[in-house]
Amino acid sequence: MKVKKRWIIIFLTPAVLLFAFVYLTSLYILVTTSFTDLTAGGGGNFVGLKNYIELFKPASEFWSVLKNNVIWVLLQSTVHVYLGVIVALILARNKWYTSLVRTIYMLPNIISNAALGMLFIFILNPKFGLINNTWRLISGNDAYMQNWFMDPKTAFGSVTMTWLPYAGITAILVMAEMTSIPDSIYEAAIIDGASQLQINMFIVLPLMRNIIGTTTILAASNMLQKLDIILLTTSGGPGTRTTNMPMSIYRTALIDNNYSLANAQGVFLILFGLVAVLLIRKIYRMNENILG
Amino acid sequence: MQINKIMAKTISAIFLLLIVCVSIVPFLWVFASSFKSNADIMSAAMGFPNGLKFINYKNAFKLAPIDKFYINSIIVTFFGILLNVTFASAAAYVLSRFSFKGARFLTVMLSMGLFIPGAALLQPLFQIISKANLSNSHAGLVIVYSALGLATTLYVMISYFKTIPKELEESAYIEGSGFVNTFFRIILPLTRPALSTAAVIQFLLCWNEFQFALILTSDNNVRTLPIALYYFKSSFASDYGAMFAATILVICPSIIVFILLQKQVVRGLVAGSVKG
Repeated sequence: MKVKKRWIIIFLTPAVLLFAFVYLTSLYILVTTSFTDLTAGGGGNFVGLKNYIELFKPASEFWSVLKNNVIWVLLQSTVHVYLGVIVALILARNKWYTSLVRTIYMLPNIISNAALGMLFIFILNPKFGLINNTWRLISGNDAYMQNWFMDPKTAFGSVTMTWLPYAGITAILVMAEMTSIPDSIYEAAIIDGASQLQINMFIVLPLMRNIIGTTTILAASNMLQKLDIILLTTSGGPGTRTTNMPMSIYRTALIDNNYSLANAQGVFLILFGLVAVLLIRKIYRMNENILG
Repeated sequence: MQINKIMAKTISAIFLLLIVCVSIVPFLWVFASSFKSNADIMSAAMGFPNGLKFINYKNAFKLAPIDKFYINSIIVTFFGILLNVTFASAAAYVLSRFSFKGARFLTVMLSMGLFIPGAALLQPLFQIISKANLSNSHAGLVIVYSALGLATTLYVMISYFKTIPKELEESAYIEGSGFVNTFFRIILPLTRPALSTAAVIQFLLCWNEFQFALILTSDNNVRTLPIALYYFKSSFASDYGAMFAATILVICPSIIVFILLQKQVVRGLVAGSVKG
């Protein structure tokens, strides 16, 4: 038994060290420096809650950043997830096109966000982009030059479109869960005269509650990570029209060089994420613990 | 009744068609455009009035050192997978096999990463990696990526180890096989499906990651493909055909890996989603 104990420690140590180095150390730095005045130029003196007060004072830019992020989280937790669920319901119980559609729907989810951003820069290009080209053909208005990412009126919607419709992961997860419903339940429902819609509404969806909750958590958390696609398409502009919290952190830390203020936002971002997860778990009445 | 059924079928067919179009048209359009001359791109021509042009791909390599970025991405991804899967599966094995004080605590701690948005750690990690003299190095990225995927690989492996009967090791021990020998000779070969699942998910993470690559690297000898797109957006500005080609070059590996290893990707996503 003595030998075993030694091996347990040896097997655990690399992962724990890696975790400690990347996560624990940075969490420690994140929290402690958020109460100081650390910038790229130095500092690091304790200033109490000054950064947090700065962040949430009425005139702060952070409010509009937060608003953008909240809207994106809400849209992604609802529209995006429901789209994925509907696709899963339609594709359920292998039809001839199921695997083809599933593969295609996953494509935007598995390529790098930077590349997806590039695709959108191209198709929304005012001069030669697919969207404007098509509209010129349909409307006959050759001068049509909508600049989707730069026009304050369309920037937010355009950025939203780079992720809102692409719920391939949601669809795949829901479909995987649906295979656990025994066929006998469907057969019984059909014998009782239930229509496909009734079966979906009253049998399948209630059984999918947990996985829908899970995918909602994934979708919401994803909205707290999107830096790449925003940096590539709009850089958060015009103004702060398409800035989310990651973009704001990036700008504060690496462009304004105000490390402490960035880290105060980081602390807030983590707390925001935790609250979102707890809320979603509550809404979907997900009871099992995080270890499933 | 019959009419309702036809209506429902039609609506769902239209819906699926829309979803498919929205997903694939951007790819197809950019792919097709990557073979067009700049004049054809600008004039928004249908088809290929000036013929198929492969010159864009050549130009893409000229405008940006794409081959270098490719090599960087391959190095970082290879070691990112190796380190992640080795460390996480070793930990997963003992955490799922042996009950000891703190096992549960460690499992929860190691999966904490799932609840921390990477963007929150931008500055702290920047600081740590510079302090450790790892900034602008492949090693820095490898370490960060291995850690980012730790929780997911841990879940994939733990759930798989749980399906292997304990009797297997017990009989091995009785026959005098040691701990390490049992793990490498008997257990690990059985977990090949889980290992490949974890590796594929980790591949996608390493190959696609952007934000840490952006802040932890500062020159082309280290930069990976996703940030290459960002940095060369402006130098490509005059040559859209080359930019299309560069984008296709970045996208291709992910798509090929996904199509070949779809089963593993799906399995990995399912295992990783217990995080809810």
